[in-house]
Amino acid sequence: MFRWRADVAAGALITALLAAIATGGCKPRPIPSPLTSFSAPFVFGRFQVPADNPLTVEAVELGRRLFYDPRLSANGKVSCSTCHIQRLAFTDGRTTGVGVSGHPLAFNSMSLANLMWGPQRFFWNGRAATLEDQALVPLQHPDEMAQDLKRLVAQLAADPGYRKLFETAYGEISRSAIPRALASFERTLISSNSRYDQFLRGEITLDAQEELGRKLFMAHPDVKVSLRGANCIDCHSQFLTGGSSAGYDGFANNGLDDEAHLQPGLQTVTGKPAHRGLFKVPSLRNIALTAPYMHDGRFNTLEEVLDHYDRGIKISSTLSAVIVEADNQGAAASGRISLHLTAREKGAIIAFLQTLTDRDFVTAERFSDPLARK
Amino acid sequence: MNWMRNARLLAALLLALAAALGVTGWRLYRAAQPVQLTLYFHPFVGQEPLVLNETNYPNPSGEGRFKVRDFLFFLSNIRLVSPTGAYAEADSYHLVRFDGEERTFVIVLHDVPRRNYEQIQFGIGVDAAANRSLASRGDLDPNGRMAWSWEVGYKFVLFEGALLRGNTSEPLVYHVGFEENYRLISTQLQRKPLDGRPARLDFRVDILRLFQGSTNIDMAALPRVKFDRADAALLARNFAGMVRPMWPDAAGQPDGAR
Repeated sequence: MFRWRADVAAGALITALLAAIATGGCKPRPIPSPLTSFSAPFVFGRFQVPADNPLTVEAVELGRRLFYDPRLSANGKVSCSTCHIQRLAFTDGRTTGVGVSGHPLAFNSMSLANLMWGPQRFFWNGRAATLEDQALVPLQHPDEMAQDLKRLVAQLAADPGYRKLFETAYGEISRSAIPRALASFERTLISSNSRYDQFLRGEITLDAQEELGRKLFMAHPDVKVSLRGANCIDCHSQFLTGGSSAGYDGFANNGLDDEAHLQPGLQTVTGKPAHRGLFKVPSLRNIALTAPYMHDGRFNTLEEVLDHYDRGIKISSTLSAVIVEADNQGAAASGRISLHLTAREKGAIIAFLQTLTDRDFVTAERFSDPLARK
Repeated sequence: MNWMRNARLLAALLLALAAALGVTGWRLYRAAQPVQLTLYFHPFVGQEPLVLNETNYPNPSGEGRFKVRDFLFFLSNIRLVSPTGAYAEADSYHLVRFDGEERTFVIVLHDVPRRNYEQIQFGIGVDAAANRSLASRGDLDPNGRMAWSWEVGYKFVLFEGALLRGNTSEPLVYHVGFEENYRLISTQLQRKPLDGRPARLDFRVDILRLFQGSTNIDMAALPRVKFDRADAALLARNFAGMVRPMWPDAAGQPDGAR
């Protein structure tokens, strides 16, 4: 037994060596360079890049090309950037996205920012476990890009520019290299220079209205100690302003629909009744640019969103307990849910939300269409 | 022949010596190898196993029945104490929770030196230094669900649910934090926990003990605890009873049925 194993091992080694001499030896495979220019604020916390898809300069460059390339769709007219427009923090301004079929999609196009932090499940209902998996869905969905992967590989292989990029980044053009490159580019979409970030770094101070809004955002109300709050932070974390990363903590039922109209949401993924009506808590980075709001784009303005949380909550069995209980007047048990915020407070919260707009992020050349004419 | 008998005797003697050396060597080697110790936390509501969202449990000190939607707490700074030295887990901040696929929460301590430990110690909550820090150590995450805000620190224990009385359902929200409420618990070990195979210690976590103990709390009278420091201290006083060993404890009293 041992001998047999040793023979196989020796054989494999010799084969590998011969293969290396035959391919690498004659024409060395270009080696991708690790991405070194990459940084993120300490307060965002830990993040992970998949071991089988390390961030490299070439993978990110390739991903950026692919992101803006309409060849990724069946009719050659739709690219990722059709629904994820940089100037709108990678959203599209529509209620729900529209792809090759012209039929409105089920969900509002999500902003793409700081994707390595917060819930590591993607789409509003969390149905993709990695960014790589996520990228493949719209690519092949009949209403979105309706592309055939085999056909796409052939099309890209006919382009010498792509051939070279793929070879350096992933060795060759393949079906798996396409989503990996797209995911690499998306991981570099880091928004960390809003006024809020500058405030966190101690570079600026917020004005009185923004500061009031920040305090309300960061507080769960407690009448007993006269603490007023809008309990945004119960779901939208203090620095990332998105859902938490652990387990399904980053998914919540925020009272959009009553019991009879609850959509499946996260239950689609987990099958658990307790997850019915729960959707991904999105990052609020650049929120002033990403209207309309919610998973189905039902609210057009931030004022409508604030009114929803203030007095529009609909009751259902999976509604978040901290939403039911949050009240600035201490009448939570009355059966009527309301935050009881004043108009001045709502204005302050919106002023704070506007400090989350990052002009650098929405204009940075490194995130823009590499082939666009300037 | 005589020399043959002597040779046999010598061979037997050598063999015995080799065996003795081998056994001693193996024992010494094994004693020097660190072990893996696994801590199991079993959730209860009094004598009933905790089931999230489903069962309604009686309010321990008042009217109505309650359900638990979320129950999480920080267990920190795990130490094993022996006369010859202590083992302290690095970055020891665990968010204990029972909403996963497994009903029991498990903490694995790797590379624990073999000693005759007499005590296990840990904290309920987060120590003051870590509570004021923004570093992501262990399960501490300033963007996590247990973070209040950097001005206040972490929630140590989170219990969200509902109290049902007649036809009315009232939300229960217990967010207990503040650094004065960090509690260190020491428990006597009565056997040699590292000799088990696998080495394990079992604890029961009883959510009812938050409301029963040095202070009895009626959920109907106190359905929410958040930023009121006196209310938070009421529950924190009961932290010590919430996590108990499932072996006969320091007082020699086995703590309830499994």
